[in-house]
Amino acid sequence: MRPDESDLNEEIRGHLAIDIKERIDRGEDPVSARRAALMEFGYAPAVRDEMRRVWYSRWYDQTEALARDVRFALRSLTRAKALTVTMVVTLALGIGANTAIFSVVRSVLLRPLVNRDADRLIYIRQTARGIGTENLTFSVPEINDFKSRATTIAAFGDFSTVDFTVIGFGQKPRLVKAGVVNGSFFEVMGLRPVLGRLLHAADDGPAAAGAVVLTHRFWTTALHSDPSVIGQTIRLGPRPATVVGVLEPSVPYPEETQLIANVVTSPHHSLAMMKTARTHRMTELFGRLAPGATLEAARAELSSVHASIVREYPQAYSARAHVQLQISTLRDQLTAPAQTILLVLLTATAVVFVIACSNVANLILARSVRREGELAVRAALGAGRVALRRTLLAESLVMCTGGAILGLVLAQPLVTVASRYAARFSVRALDATVDASVLWLGAGLAVIAAVLLAFVPRLPSSDRTASVGLAGGSVRVTAGTNRRLRIFATIQIACSFVLLAGAGMLIATLTALQTANTGYDMRQVLAIDVPPSATAVVDATRSAFFPEATRRIGELPGVQGVAAGVVVPWRDRGSSVSAIGVRLAAEGYQPADGEERPTAQLRAVSAGFFKVMGVPILAGRDFTDEDRSDTDPVAIVSQSVAKRLFPNADAIDRRLHSTLGTAKPRRIIGVVADLDDQNIVQGPTLTVYEPIRGGLVGGLANRLFIRAAGDPSMLVPPVTRIIREISADQAVERPATLDDVRADVLTPERLNTFVFSALGGIALLIAVVGVAGVLAFSVGARMREFGVRLAVGSTPRDLRTEVLWDGVRIAAFGIAAGVAGGYAVVRIAAGVWGTVQLPGALSLIGAALVLIGAAAVASIMPAMRASRIDVLQAFRSD
Amino acid sequence: MATHADDQRLELLQGTLDMLILRTLQWGPRHGHGIGQAIRTQSDDLLKVETGSLYPALHRLVKRGWLKADWGVSEANQRAKYYRLTAAGKAQLVREQDRWSRLVHAIGRIMNPAPGK
Repeated sequence: MRPDESDLNEEIRGHLAIDIKERIDRGEDPVSARRAALMEFGYAPAVRDEMRRVWYSRWYDQTEALARDVRFALRSLTRAKALTVTMVVTLALGIGANTAIFSVVRSVLLRPLVNRDADRLIYIRQTARGIGTENLTFSVPEINDFKSRATTIAAFGDFSTVDFTVIGFGQKPRLVKAGVVNGSFFEVMGLRPVLGRLLHAADDGPAAAGAVVLTHRFWTTALHSDPSVIGQTIRLGPRPATVVGVLEPSVPYPEETQLIANVVTSPHHSLAMMKTARTHRMTELFGRLAPGATLEAARAELSSVHASIVREYPQAYSARAHVQLQISTLRDQLTAPAQTILLVLLTATAVVFVIACSNVANLILARSVRREGELAVRAALGAGRVALRRTLLAESLVMCTGGAILGLVLAQPLVTVASRYAARFSVRALDATVDASVLWLGAGLAVIAAVLLAFVPRLPSSDRTASVGLAGGSVRVTAGTNRRLRIFATIQIACSFVLLAGAGMLIATLTALQTANTGYDMRQVLAIDVPPSATAVVDATRSAFFPEATRRIGELPGVQGVAAGVVVPWRDRGSSVSAIGVRLAAEGYQPADGEERPTAQLRAVSAGFFKVMGVPILAGRDFTDEDRSDTDPVAIVSQSVAKRLFPNADAIDRRLHSTLGTAKPRRIIGVVADLDDQNIVQGPTLTVYEPIRGGLVGGLANRLFIRAAGDPSMLVPPVTRIIREISADQAVERPATLDDVRADVLTPERLNTFVFSALGGIALLIAVVGVAGVLAFSVGARMREFGVRLAVGSTPRDLRTEVLWDGVRIAAFGIAAGVAGGYAVVRIAAGVWGTVQLPGALSLIGAALVLIGAAAVASIMPAMRASRIDVLQAFRSD
Repeated sequence: MATHADDQRLELLQGTLDMLILRTLQWGPRHGHGIGQAIRTQSDDLLKVETGSLYPALHRLVKRGWLKADWGVSEANQRAKYYRLTAAGKAQLVREQDRWSRLVHAIGRIMNPAPGK
C-alpha cells in the first residue's frame, strides 16, 4: 500500500516526461523543453521527501536521509584516508582512555556490594591521629564493652588477621593469611556460602572444633575449585581444623585472606594477654545496624560509649594519641582511599577527551572550509539548514563510530592495566571488566563528540552563497574560521599543559624517591621471610632454629654473612612488629620540661646483622652469640639515639632504661649508623637494637638476611633446602634482594607517574598534530599573500620565521590559558578535598618548555612550505 | 506560451487544494501532471499548483481513502500514476463543495453587505 522510494521516483520521472513531451509538442526544442520542465518542477528530492512524509513519520524520514548521508560520508571519508585515520585514532584514544578509567571507577565506586543490605553494614575503627595511626584496631576487652553497651547495633562481627602455616590439601606447607572471626561475623557481613556452610555461633568458644571457611579466590585458584575439600581436616600450625565451606566471591576486607577460621584455631587468641590486655589491639570490628537504627544514631551512641570507655580506662588511651572512634558504612570504608585518585584520573581522561575532540574539530573545520563550495551548491539546490547539518552530522557520526569501535578495542587492555593500578587503592578494582554499560558509555561519548563536531563548521549563509565560487568550490578563508581554528589549538595546548604539569610533578616525586640514596649497598642482600607456624607462639624448637639455620647457611659457598631480624626494611613498613617502640630513658638524660620522652623503634637482630646490611658500627662492638638480654642485657643504638640522649658524651656503657615492661636496664655496647627501614628517603632514625635471644621482640624474629658474594637469587634453593631440613614444616616466603624490595615499594608511585605521563604524552601528541594542522591550514590559505610578499621583496627566511612565531604564539597563549585554568581547577579541588599538592616551578617550567618546543617542531613543516612558495604558482592558485 | 505575469497569479487559499483536486477528478482518472494542468487551464492560468504541493496532496488524499492510484501508461508512453475518485472521495467532494459555497456566501455578506439591511 505504501509507495516505496522507487515508486516515488518513478512518479516524478513520469511527470517530467509528460511535461517535456507536451512542451516539445508545443514547438519547443528538446533541450530547452527539458530545462524548463526541470526548472518548473523544482528540487526533486525535496518534493519526493514531502511525498514520503505523507506516508512515513518525520523520524523515519530523517533517519532515511541520515542513512543516505552516512553512505555518502563513508565514500567521501575513504577518499581522504590520512585525514580520516588521524581523526579516528585521535577519537579512539580519547574514548578508549575514558571507557577504561570509567570501568574501573564503576567497579570500585558505583557497583553494589554482594553483602546483604550493604547499607546497614558498618565498619568501626579507632584512629589515633596523635601518633599518626588511622586505624588502631580494637582489643578484645574493648569489643566486649561495645557488645554489652550498644543498642543500635544488632550484632558485631570481629576479624583479626593471623598468618598460619597450612599443612594439608596434599600440598607443601605454605604460609597463608587467615582471618580469625567470631561466630556472628558472616551473619553481620551478610555473606553466603557457595559450598558447605559458613561459621556460626556454635563455632565460638574454647570447646568448639576447629573450623575453616575457604575464600572463593583461594578455592578457585590454589585448589582448582575442588569440591571434595569440604570435610577435609587440615593443620593450621599446631592445631587441626575441618574445612566446612567455601565463601561466595566478595570484597576481601579488611585483608585479602585465603582462609577464615574460628577463634579456637588460633593459639594466640587463647593467650591471657589477648583476652585481658586493653591495649593488645589486633581486631577489626564490623556491625549490623539494629532494625530502625540509623547510621547517625549508631554513630552517636557508639561515640558516647567510646567516650565513657576512654574515661574509665585512661591508661589505655594516652592523651597524646588522641584516640577517636570513626564509623562509616563498609562501602564508604572500601571506596574512600580510591575515590580521590580515581576522580583525578577520570578528570585527566576527560581532559584528554576534550583535547581529542577539539583536535578533530580542528581537522573537520579545516576540511569543511574546503567543502564550503560543496555545501553552498547543496544550499543553492534547496537543501535546508537541517539537511546541511545532517550531512555534517553523518560524517562526524561515521568518524566517531569508527573512533568508538577502535576505542573499545583499546579499552580492553587499558582496563587490565588500570584495574591493576587501582587495586593498590581498593581491592574492588580487581574485577573491573569491559561490559555492556561501558559499551554504552563509549557509544554515548561518540554521539556527544559527533553532535558537537557537526556544529563546528559554519554553514554557508544565504547572503554568502553568492560570494563562493560554486563550480570550483574554491577556498576563501574567513577570519572567523581562522580564529576558531586558533581557539581550538589553544584549548589543546592549555589542556596538555595541565596534564603535563601534573605528570611533571609526579615524575619529580618519583625521581626524588628513586635517587634517594640509602647510603647502603643492598643489591647483594637477600631477605627471606621464615614465619613461625602460628603468630607469637614461641616454643623450644623455634629458639634453636635461628642459630642452627644461620650457622648452616653461613657455610654455603658464596655466602658472606647471615643474620636474623624482625623487619625487612621497607617491605615490612607499617607492620605490627615494626610499630613497636620504646620510650627512651637513660641515666644522665633528663628531658627538658614539657618535652615528651622520644620514642625509638625497637628491633631484635642477631649477631652479624649490621655486617650483612652494610651498616657501619661507629663505636663499640656488634652483638655476639653470647649476648643474652636476660642475664646481662645489652643494646646497640643508632647514631641519632646516641646524639639525642648523650649530646656531649660517649654513649658506650651507659644504661638504657626500658619503659616497656619490667626489664632490667640495658647496657649500650655499640653505636651504629641510622638505618630508616620505614622510609625510602632516609631520615634521622631513633632505633634501639636488642639481641634476638631473650629480647622483648626477639621471639618474633622471622626474617633471614643473607649477603651474597655473587647472584643472590642463586642462593634461594639451597637456603630453602637447609631450612626444610631443620624444620620440615617451616614455610619459606618472599625471597628478594633489598634492592628489589625498594623498587617494589615504589611501584604505586611509578604507576601513578606512568599513567599520568601516558595521558600527558597522548595529550602532547594530539596537541602537536593540532598545532601543525592549524598552521598548515593557515599557510595554505595565505598562499597568495605570501606570494605577493615574496614578490615585493620579503625573503623566504622572513616568512619562515613568521610561521614559526605563529606556532609559538599559539603555544604561549595556550600555556597562559592552562595556567589560569589549572589554577581555577586547583582552587575548586582544594575546596572539595582540602589540600591539593601543587606542581613545583620546575614541573611548570618544564611543561611549558616542552609545549613551546613541540609547537616549534610542529611549525617547522608549514614554515618550510611557506618559504618554498613559488610566486607564479601562488598567483595562479586562486 | 500563454502565462499570466506572476503578479496576476492568485495564491491558493489554505485548504482548497484538496477540494480542487477532487473536483478535477470528477470526470475521470488523471495523472498528477494532468491534474496540475487542469487546475491551471480551468482557472484561466490564474491558479498554478506547485508540484511540491500537488504531489504530497495527492498522496495525502490517497492515504485518507478519497482517491485511488493505479499505474498506467500515459500519452507520452511513460508509466504514470493515475488517480481516480473513490466513493468516499465523491462524498467528500460534495461536503467540501457545500462547505465552500457557504463560506463564499458568508464572506460575500461581509465584504458586500446588502443595501438597506
